[in-house]
Amino acid sequence: MEEELQQLIEQAEKDIFACSRPNDLLNVKAKYLGKKSLLSSLYAQMRELPAEERPAYGSLINETRKRLEDLIEEQNRVIKENTWKKSELKSAIDLTMPGIFSSRGGLHPLTVIRREIDEVFLGLGFEIAEGPDIDDDFHNFDALNTPLDHPSRNLADTFYLEGGGLLRTHTSTVQVRVMEKYPPPIKIISPGRCYRNDKPDPSHSPVFHQVEALVVDKGISLADMKDMLSQFASIMFGKNVSSRIRPHFFPFTEPSAEMDISCVVCGGTGCRVCKYSGWLEMGGAGMVDPNVFDILGIDSEVYTGYAFGLGIERIAMLKYNIPDMRILYENDLRMLRQFKGELR
Amino acid sequence: MKIALSWLAKYIEIEENTNELEEILTFTGIEVEAVENISALPETVFSAKIISAEAVTETDHLKRCLVDIGNFPYSEKKENGYLQVICGAPNCRSGMMSVIALPGSILPEMTITKAKIKGIESCGMLCSEKELGISDNHSGIIELSSETPIGITANELYELPDTIFELEITPNRPDLLGYIGIARDLSAKLKRSLKMPEINIPDAKCKAETMPLELVNKVPDLCPRYIARLFNKVELKDSPLWLKRALIKSGLRPINNLVDITNYVMLEYGHPLHCFDYDKLTPLPEKPKIPAIVIRRAYQNEPIITLDGKSYVLEGDEMVIADGIKPSAIAGIMGGNISAISETTKRIVLESAAFHPGSIRRTSYKHKISTDSSYRFERHLCAYSAADAAKRATQLICELTNAELCEVTYDSFPFPPKPLILGIRPSRYAQVIGYELEDEKIKDYLERLGLKFLQYGNWKQGKINNIAELYCHHTEEMKQGKTEFTELANCEHTHYYEIPPYRVDLEREIDIIEEIARLDGYHKIPVKTLPQRIMDRHSYRIKKIAVDYLISRGFYETLNYSFSEPNLLYKLGYKDGDRELEMITLKNPQSSNQSVMRTSLIPQLLQNLAYNLNRGEKNIKLLELGKTYHRQDVLSYEPYFLAGILTGLNKEEHWQEKASPLTIFWVKGIVEELLSFLHLENLSVQDIKVPFLSRTESAAYYLADKELAYYGKLTAAAAEKFDIDTIELKQDIWIVQFAMENIINATRTLKTQFQEIPRFPFVTRDISFLIADEIPYCEIVKTIAETDRNIISDVTAFDEYHGKQIPEGKRSLTLRLKLRDKEKTLTDERVDYLIDSVIKKLRETWQIIMR
Repeated sequence: MEEELQQLIEQAEKDIFACSRPNDLLNVKAKYLGKKSLLSSLYAQMRELPAEERPAYGSLINETRKRLEDLIEEQNRVIKENTWKKSELKSAIDLTMPGIFSSRGGLHPLTVIRREIDEVFLGLGFEIAEGPDIDDDFHNFDALNTPLDHPSRNLADTFYLEGGGLLRTHTSTVQVRVMEKYPPPIKIISPGRCYRNDKPDPSHSPVFHQVEALVVDKGISLADMKDMLSQFASIMFGKNVSSRIRPHFFPFTEPSAEMDISCVVCGGTGCRVCKYSGWLEMGGAGMVDPNVFDILGIDSEVYTGYAFGLGIERIAMLKYNIPDMRILYENDLRMLRQFKGELR
Repeated sequence: MKIALSWLAKYIEIEENTNELEEILTFTGIEVEAVENISALPETVFSAKIISAEAVTETDHLKRCLVDIGNFPYSEKKENGYLQVICGAPNCRSGMMSVIALPGSILPEMTITKAKIKGIESCGMLCSEKELGISDNHSGIIELSSETPIGITANELYELPDTIFELEITPNRPDLLGYIGIARDLSAKLKRSLKMPEINIPDAKCKAETMPLELVNKVPDLCPRYIARLFNKVELKDSPLWLKRALIKSGLRPINNLVDITNYVMLEYGHPLHCFDYDKLTPLPEKPKIPAIVIRRAYQNEPIITLDGKSYVLEGDEMVIADGIKPSAIAGIMGGNISAISETTKRIVLESAAFHPGSIRRTSYKHKISTDSSYRFERHLCAYSAADAAKRATQLICELTNAELCEVTYDSFPFPPKPLILGIRPSRYAQVIGYELEDEKIKDYLERLGLKFLQYGNWKQGKINNIAELYCHHTEEMKQGKTEFTELANCEHTHYYEIPPYRVDLEREIDIIEEIARLDGYHKIPVKTLPQRIMDRHSYRIKKIAVDYLISRGFYETLNYSFSEPNLLYKLGYKDGDRELEMITLKNPQSSNQSVMRTSLIPQLLQNLAYNLNRGEKNIKLLELGKTYHRQDVLSYEPYFLAGILTGLNKEEHWQEKASPLTIFWVKGIVEELLSFLHLENLSVQDIKVPFLSRTESAAYYLADKELAYYGKLTAAAAEKFDIDTIELKQDIWIVQFAMENIINATRTLKTQFQEIPRFPFVTRDISFLIADEIPYCEIVKTIAETDRNIISDVTAFDEYHGKQIPEGKRSLTLRLKLRDKEKTLTDERVDYLIDSVIKKLRETWQIIMR
């Protein structure tokens, strides 16, 4: 019997090693280990043996079975690994062929800048307030301490509407509306569209975007504004960018100032963009004029506040080196695509 | 740490109820982790004497007891007026005083009834502490002292009702690890006096030479103070009930009077104590005959067996309390078994010491032994408290064990620390905490905490060495009885206090500021007014989500002027009288094509499209998010819209994955997907109202009467008006629009809510059938879903086919059903049955033909 089993193993080994596909192996397995296999019939014969011979006989069969199972498992592994190798080697791929892109579009550069500004100020604890584009003389001029004969009220500067109203010339109107409605403390930015009767040219557009900041509370000073401005400049344009304010005049702020940042192109040494001054003008600023508070019923002895305004087009043009403001309103896909990567 | 209200009330009057006290503790900075109310027991639970206890035959543990309940009126007394009670407790024996609960008594976890046990009547129950709800001890019935009279109610015996607070003591406050510490904090918080225990120590009767001791402190850096008091003729016995119940309620088990006293004082003062058997202390070899206590580091590999019978091999870094030869205790952690108090003990040494917290912590960590004692010592107990605890324990030992105190007190205290003096500026308090507090209030809080007020003075930075250097004109003014002080330049009004040594956590001015703020209450700290919250964050977010979604689908954002020309709307097919033509006109426009405020975003997008087509672009997707302007009252209504225009291929061209022309379902998908992101579902679909889209290839989505969005194909006629020849272009032009204001308002209250993840797998089944063209898909889906809403979790269109082999007027539809039961795995039979019912229902409703 031992000899018979040894032959069986030898034969089975040959069959197993000849297998190259999983199916072949299954067939071989059925042949040697299945119900009709030699091993099974030998096992069935065990009953006819005397009881004392059975254990030795049984363990011999089991050893053979185990041996065959191991061989099959081993071959199974070989077949699998061969298949893996084959799939790796199948063919050389031309990896210089283009990959598949998503078909994502992109934001308008002005939106990119606006979102960036929103993010900076939201992070500094400001709220975003919006107001109507179409407003009235009170909110655009009167409440902001602008005299009736002030030149900015001219038709040549401001668009007026049939049936009353005007297109706001700055988003300071929103500040007025917020102060009308809410008592201090107030800490807002008001981004939005503004309108001035300027002919479109490289640095003007009748429609443009502004962000204004207003902070009103007890103990707010010009120092707070300088601080905020320098924080904004460094977050928006980079740590090395410094800022300064210069005396100026606006009807609604006293003292008033204009804000400059060090030139983001040349770093302050002087270039074409900064007109060789080393500084770029960012916008107007100042402490809210006590008259404005008086008009809006806020006690100017208790509260002080600062405000400043920034032009979004100007920031976008500086940041992206866009030479002409009109490009921003042409909506040419060849321009828009350039900002596809500016995710905000 | 467990604190019983009844015990706490010995040190401070408590008027508050449990909830109020919990709140007060929590806001004093002592976190209450749990509150356990022990309720009062019925009057039918009281002390009683077991007259006899015979084993009940055939059982191995039950005893038939006759119990004397004295004069208590109970009708069922038997055998000479005694009550028969069956008891299974191992410690039940005749002559014992215990607590009985008569039938009818309602105990915390059971009601006692008259019962028959093994055929013997039992009238009531002898109780364990657990059964009365006063502790977890269930090892046997309560054993009261034999002097206890019969008939004392359990309420009286155990001071019930009572409340147990489980407190979490922060690691910086070791002074709170005892009742007195807690009471002291409460006394400062509640402005009520602290009642310290009265300590009278009897005269020392035992002469020094009767009990000599050699005390050697070899490690004063690890053991700054070691007090040993000696007692002769100690009588070990059970503790009195007041002592036992105090320990029980704080979670400790009474052992004998001596051990109980050390535990009691530990809980009271927060300072652990230890007792050695004097007669088991071996003398030093060089000083035979004098029992010794040597405080030293362990020797390397020095063995010790502790009280609990565990053996440890010390490594040499540990501090031990040894006798002349071998260690008697691992210092501050656990005593050794050789010198432990035993039944034969007559003479003892009481140890009260202060140990270096780091050393205790290292040893406790290294050998993984944590005890009530190590817990306290590793938090830095003060050397002065050791003396207080020793005094208190001395008094109790004399009182309760009838011991004679030895006249010598050994006290190794080589470097008594100087008391710390700290200054606190009320102005600094206001600066840090945010409001001002009067001198008197500050002083009152701090004095109640045990800080000793020295004087007012000028602020001095740094360590104060001499009280004299604090002198300033405020000192003088204080002496004159002034409460308002003159402010001079260079003078900062400051209080000076001597810090009690047990407040090891008070080291700087800021620590004292915290104490004052905590006791005055954090609720008193004013909230600074925040800037007005005026931003419409929801609106901001929805607009961003919508734009970003379209960008992700391939759109580029445009920005157009807010003004436009009226002619464009006529070109789109609007007619006079349409609301879109009610435009606001500029008085001074720059040109006629910028003469009105726009009422729609579509015309300019069409211009943008034409502009880009003219520059050779073929695949274009543009959007604009912007306002439109309408007259309302005197000014305007300026709602936001998001509009998109698109033509060409559905995606970027690629050599492998081919792009295909945009279809109406691609466009519809944009609208539906965005709306579904915003949870706007089950909307009504209606015909569009704009004149420039194909009637058949367009639809609008409404919520009630508000239009939320529409999509559709631009008519060739409208395109032509904008100089776009669609025939030449060979592309359809599609338009989508979202009415942002309506969407923003409709989504204000909608929130994404987590749904439980299904625990059972789903099964998918596809069904294919022929159905008449005019029957809409959405109706078919509805019919299917109605068959069994619990199981059919999803239906999707898998395929639609017109053509060969399909009869005219019909289409072949394949739908994929996702089936799932929330309760169990679906069987094949159940799935088959369900699919059969779906088919049956579809046949009946829509006359489908199965394929």
